[in-house]
Amino acid sequence: MSTALEAYFAARIYSEGRALRRTTLRHVHLADPPLAIAMWRLGGERFRAAAVAWGPLDGPFQLAVPGEPRNRDLYFAALQPFAIDLCARVRRAAVAKVARQRGSVIEHIPADALQLAVPNSSTVAALGLLGRYLAYLSDRGGVAPHPALLEAGKHLRFYARHARVPGQSLLIPLDRLVAGHWATLLSPFEQANLAALDAQIEPAAGLHPFEASAAAEAAARIGPEPTEDVDRRTEALLADFNAARGISTDPDITGPLAEPLREHYRSLTEPVWRLMGRVVTRERQLAAAPSVYRRFESDREAFGRHVDWVVTQGGYYRTTDTPRQAAITLRRLEDTLARYEADQAVEDPALMIGHLLDGDAIRGTVASVSQTKVVVKVRAVARAVMALDSTDPVTLPTGKLLWWTATASDQPWEVQSVQPNGAGSRVFLMLTAKPTPERLPVVGDVITLSTLCTGQVAFWLMPPENPPWTHRPATPLPVPDPIDAGDREQPAAPVDAAAAEDPGRYT
Amino acid sequence: MTRHQQPDPAAATALARVRGQAPEIRANVRRLAAFASVHSCPTAAVAFAARIDTNRVLAGTSMEMPFGQSPFAIGRGVAFEALLRRHGHAELRRVLTAGLDTDFTFAAIENLREGYPPNRTGLRMRATVTQTRMAEIVGGPPEPVVLDGAVLEADVGGLPAFFEADEMAIGVGGQIIVGENKSWPVVDGKPTDEDALGAALDQAATYVLLGRQTLERSGVDPACMSDSVVLVTPRNTGLAPSLHRQDVASRIRRIQRLLSAVPDVQETAAATPASVTFGVVADTTRPEGVRLAAFGDVTDVLGRVYEPASCLTSCGFAWACRQRLFADADPAVVGGAVARALPGIASLSRVAELGQGAPASPVEAPAAVPVARAGRLYDEVIPAAGLSQRRTA
Repeated sequence: MSTALEAYFAARIYSEGRALRRTTLRHVHLADPPLAIAMWRLGGERFRAAAVAWGPLDGPFQLAVPGEPRNRDLYFAALQPFAIDLCARVRRAAVAKVARQRGSVIEHIPADALQLAVPNSSTVAALGLLGRYLAYLSDRGGVAPHPALLEAGKHLRFYARHARVPGQSLLIPLDRLVAGHWATLLSPFEQANLAALDAQIEPAAGLHPFEASAAAEAAARIGPEPTEDVDRRTEALLADFNAARGISTDPDITGPLAEPLREHYRSLTEPVWRLMGRVVTRERQLAAAPSVYRRFESDREAFGRHVDWVVTQGGYYRTTDTPRQAAITLRRLEDTLARYEADQAVEDPALMIGHLLDGDAIRGTVASVSQTKVVVKVRAVARAVMALDSTDPVTLPTGKLLWWTATASDQPWEVQSVQPNGAGSRVFLMLTAKPTPERLPVVGDVITLSTLCTGQVAFWLMPPENPPWTHRPATPLPVPDPIDAGDREQPAAPVDAAAAEDPGRYT
Repeated sequence: MTRHQQPDPAAATALARVRGQAPEIRANVRRLAAFASVHSCPTAAVAFAARIDTNRVLAGTSMEMPFGQSPFAIGRGVAFEALLRRHGHAELRRVLTAGLDTDFTFAAIENLREGYPPNRTGLRMRATVTQTRMAEIVGGPPEPVVLDGAVLEADVGGLPAFFEADEMAIGVGGQIIVGENKSWPVVDGKPTDEDALGAALDQAATYVLLGRQTLERSGVDPACMSDSVVLVTPRNTGLAPSLHRQDVASRIRRIQRLLSAVPDVQETAAATPASVTFGVVADTTRPEGVRLAAFGDVTDVLGRVYEPASCLTSCGFAWACRQRLFADADPAVVGGAVARALPGIASLSRVAELGQGAPASPVEAPAAVPVARAGRLYDEVIPAAGLSQRRTA
């Protein structure tokens, strides 16, 4: 992103006291409503959800609070309703299918996919870890865990991994969604706080966005990692709970005893739920960009493959990619990112501004379009030559390929020369393909050309099935195994910072 | 870095005056890492030289940063360390044996955290023992020696400081290996917190560097300190420890550069104006407004460099500095990248004017041109939202 544009945004927001839209369109599919999930962990306990809230975002949430999340029996008993509900929703979403034709191949992909919305990227990582834990649970004492827990674990792992795909809409961290669509006075680091972002966009009456976000940053508790004050309260309630239950894990006994903890987490979750609802409602008001449908179709395809593998075939995923898998995944992610950035800028003129300022794009008025003949290999072929007048000076090398945004998935134009033209420049470009009416702008049009291409510029071959020895791991990949052996350990006793000799050691 | 200079009494007095009644903190590896993140800030440099605990200076004000820790997180860390020490360090011996290809069953493990007074004198005594044990590497001990809570002494900015390493295994294949214990888990061979992994490796690399300096002082080849370090972390959901070995040679070089950049205490004291003191800022009996105004005065005199990502994670002054920048309409409030893109333009208000096409002065012109163009382009496209992309995109 252009620093000049960022500076301009910051200055305008400072002066006008309101956040600015970065985009004119919404670039992510938003279900109506998505299934929202908010989560709280115990400090330092990466696998222990002290509370999970879930439900369609347009309604109230359900809350799973195990009381003592480090007790396996209590933990699973509390998570079971969440797991059962998640599995049912995933299966339901995958039932209805639509036919999709690609060339001569007709595929059936889910007509819809379950969309999850979470408050921030930290929750995505937390769900991924919870998924890793649940998906490979072992039998303990000969008692098999409820199958919904294992299946939910696989779903959560899938969602967390899919969240890496640029432009995906299956698992939406709302902080990223808002930061992508709004310019604020928050730095990228501060944008991880959804409450601060929201306060910048809709500050309380009489407050400047900066003041509103600073207050929200200090006051808001979002999770999944608890702040000290949250866990101090949890510590006291948990101590009471454990003292009252003794060693009992009987739901009839522990259920009522956990009520104060439930109330504690309910009071923490309610503002987060309202915040998420407000954010999604606001973003949904923007019209979706044309490419959103195509990207969500890819999401549905991935969702369908996942459900088929996990639900229909009962399959598991590797926990560590093979080198070949890693190479393919990286390549796909890079390609998807490039395509996503191109789609956004081509469809959304506001997102093209950064490219114009950075010199990756030019905008101007078409001064002339003429046809000529050039020799390609041995044949003389027709080509179009365009003169484009830009009011800004243009610095582009001869031979640079640029795509007209109206035909960004088609053939590029090649820069022939750049000449000074008043305060700006006149750029001569030649179309690198046969001139057709669709490919040619009309004299007088104001058009944009950029280095961004939304088509496939090259085909790539899959890596060989058997990679050479240079690309094979020195040791065999670990087999996916349960990671719950530690569940039998006694939970560590909380320690107050004042009582620790050097609390900073445990940061 | 020089060795054991006695701080100039005048400098010490000057820094004590700067500190006033602000809480003091001794240098340790985490403090050093935190300072490394903000070392370009003059206020942070003075606070570091004066050993001021920046996280507590603004306690009780609305600008106090929430750096508190969850009791569960501390409890987990304490429990993990206790597990390693239990039954004569049985778990520690097991993971070291499994991970270092050396039998630690009969290793001599000295727990230097016990039996020494918990003060500066105790640290000095532990540092002496550590130096003596490290020198024994030359004789090739029959069994490896493990120092639990080894202390390394170094001069930081001209003042002696003590650094506590979790473990130091001496005599592993003729080398000394630094170990660090962390209570975050590793799953499938991957850390669950990559930032924490980087910080832990930086810590261990610091100990390697300081260990080499200690060996040099003893006349022992510093190459006896291995470039690779070990991290001992829980594996999976429990606390069962596992060991990971990692080469940190490049981190050692970076930390060496960092240590050499730590400002000299005496130079800092000499350069700090006599009016500067954090005494009023830290005085909890005074009204918040007075304390924050005093903080503003101090930073106005010393200067401040605000980088959101590093300041907000490392410095207790970050919110107060950010507030001050906002009040001054300083472009740095949104980060250094934006501020650096605006040479010659003093305030966001002026940037806004230039963005709307106001004439720029010669000094402002280089930065004003792209900002004005950004403003023009933004104003052009936002009203165009929703129109056909075919001919106007």
